[in-house]
Amino acid sequence: MILRLIAQRLAAAVATLLVVSALVFFFTSVLPGDIAERVLGHESTAQQRELFRERMHLDRPVYDRYASWVGGVFRGDFGRSLVSDETVTSTIASSARNTLFLSLFAFALYLPVTLVLATLGALFRGKPIDSLISVITLVGLSIPDFVLGTLLIFGFAVKLSLAPALSIVNPGDGFFTRLHETVLPAVTLMVAMAVYAIRMLRDNLIDVLDSEYVRMATLKGVPRWRVVFRHALPNAIGPALNVTALNLTYLIGGVVVVETVFSYPGLGKMLVDSISVRDVPVVEAAALLASGVYILANLAADVLAMLANPRLRTT
Amino acid sequence: MATTALAVSAPTRRAGVRRFLRRFTLSARVAAVVLLLYGLIALTGPLWAPYSPFATGSVPFGGGSWTHLFGTDILGRDVFSRVVYGTRNVLYLSLTSTLLALLVGGAIGLASGLVGGWVDELLMRAFETIISIPLLVLALLAIAAAGPKLAGSSLLLILVVLLVYAPRIARMARTVAVDLVTRDYVTVARARGESVASIVWRELTPNAAGVLLVEFGVRAGYAPILISSLGFLGFGAQPPSPEWGLMISENRVAIVTAPLSVLAPAGALAVLVISLNLVTDGVARVLGRSVTRTP
Repeated sequence: MILRLIAQRLAAAVATLLVVSALVFFFTSVLPGDIAERVLGHESTAQQRELFRERMHLDRPVYDRYASWVGGVFRGDFGRSLVSDETVTSTIASSARNTLFLSLFAFALYLPVTLVLATLGALFRGKPIDSLISVITLVGLSIPDFVLGTLLIFGFAVKLSLAPALSIVNPGDGFFTRLHETVLPAVTLMVAMAVYAIRMLRDNLIDVLDSEYVRMATLKGVPRWRVVFRHALPNAIGPALNVTALNLTYLIGGVVVVETVFSYPGLGKMLVDSISVRDVPVVEAAALLASGVYILANLAADVLAMLANPRLRTT
Repeated sequence: MATTALAVSAPTRRAGVRRFLRRFTLSARVAAVVLLLYGLIALTGPLWAPYSPFATGSVPFGGGSWTHLFGTDILGRDVFSRVVYGTRNVLYLSLTSTLLALLVGGAIGLASGLVGGWVDELLMRAFETIISIPLLVLALLAIAAAGPKLAGSSLLLILVVLLVYAPRIARMARTVAVDLVTRDYVTVARARGESVASIVWRELTPNAAGVLLVEFGVRAGYAPILISSLGFLGFGAQPPSPEWGLMISENRVAIVTAPLSVLAPAGALAVLVISLNLVTDGVARVLGRSVTRTP
């Protein structure tokens, strides 16, 4: 039953991804105007443009080009970068690893911060500490991540000299050196994600704490901490999982900005750079990868919600 | 529903507004005043700003002084004047684009939920697909596709915000419509043979107004962030525009020597978004609705 539902969702996700790939291809290759001129700039000679058209097979019809591109994608071949002439796959691989490292780091910070602050807010609801958390999270979700990153650089890199202002990584860096290099972008991403999750988890916790079985447990004389950790938190975590999956999807857009602020060589910065130099194959691959992760994250959220709440399995 | 709302006489409506304001929380009232100030600055700024936003000539990255309140930027332009002129930019772009997205997305979403069937199915699948491209990535792709001729134009930015917002608003409006179409007044209107447009406008819109208003507030609160992020990345407003995100990116190199050149536009942006969010929270509370902000 549940396996069939998951399989259905997976099929839908693959279908969506296929349509997204067409959209991405459309955006980068098929829009009106001379692509050769758009990529090479106004100053390019007619001969350069002709060479470019030949290399990109622009003489072939659109659906034909799309089919061969998608065919390549299925085999893991995204073509070659127009700038470096290396395969897109190898260009993307190291950036993807860097982004993965940064994301995992940010998530490792995000989980405890969210749990602790949301629990505090719910336990002391209406008290000064709850108001303080509420104000901080509202300010947090109102500050753009590039502003937050810039402020962190100002405070921690410039004034306090605690962390490097730019996250420049060298291939030979050890684990802890890399943590030190990426602490500011990781904190930026963590704050951007946690502010939403804290508000949501706190509200859920309050609802659960008001429920009858929690009151029952309290009346039975179960200690307060045990009520919170054994009875309330597990039941409030379902919706919070959902917001965490949404945060994962934020992360994919967020890294674009945050990596640029800190000059961190990840996927996001690569997307921005390759759009700037109009490196079409890299843009296509990065955008498709970002959308793929996004779709998978949403799928994971759906499946987790189904596992946590049996009622959702019937639809 | 719509007729009763229209039948309310003017004095009672004014009393309604007063009651509405009285139930505003203190923070929402303060934020509303701040927003009014921003509006005033946007409207009258050019009349009293001490310098032109493009006038160079002073020492670059000069500190704050009486001649240059927030100092000067990388090209020796007055940061205070640029922040003032930038207000106009960000308010105009954010509000126009969000309003447009609300009209387009709201109308399509409500109509789609009302019509149902394969039209609804097709539209929602299309919107889901657009939504499954991360917001900022889609915005960047659209800007790249538009090419260099349109780069930085207000029209392009408004269209980009419309492209990323309208599907999300449509999906939300459709959920509301699906719930509303089972009500008797919609059944009656259908039996009367009213057109889809008429039912959407006269029956669904008034009843979805609260949800749509809160949704507008949430989206309008994020629009300045989106627009300035694009400016910061170099894909939004182009130099020499006094756009806050672009200013932050231009002056970031001098955050040590002239911190005000970065902190002034950053502060202006943060205070604007905080105020927009607080007013939205206040309105939602009065309407008895919850605000869900998703990342």
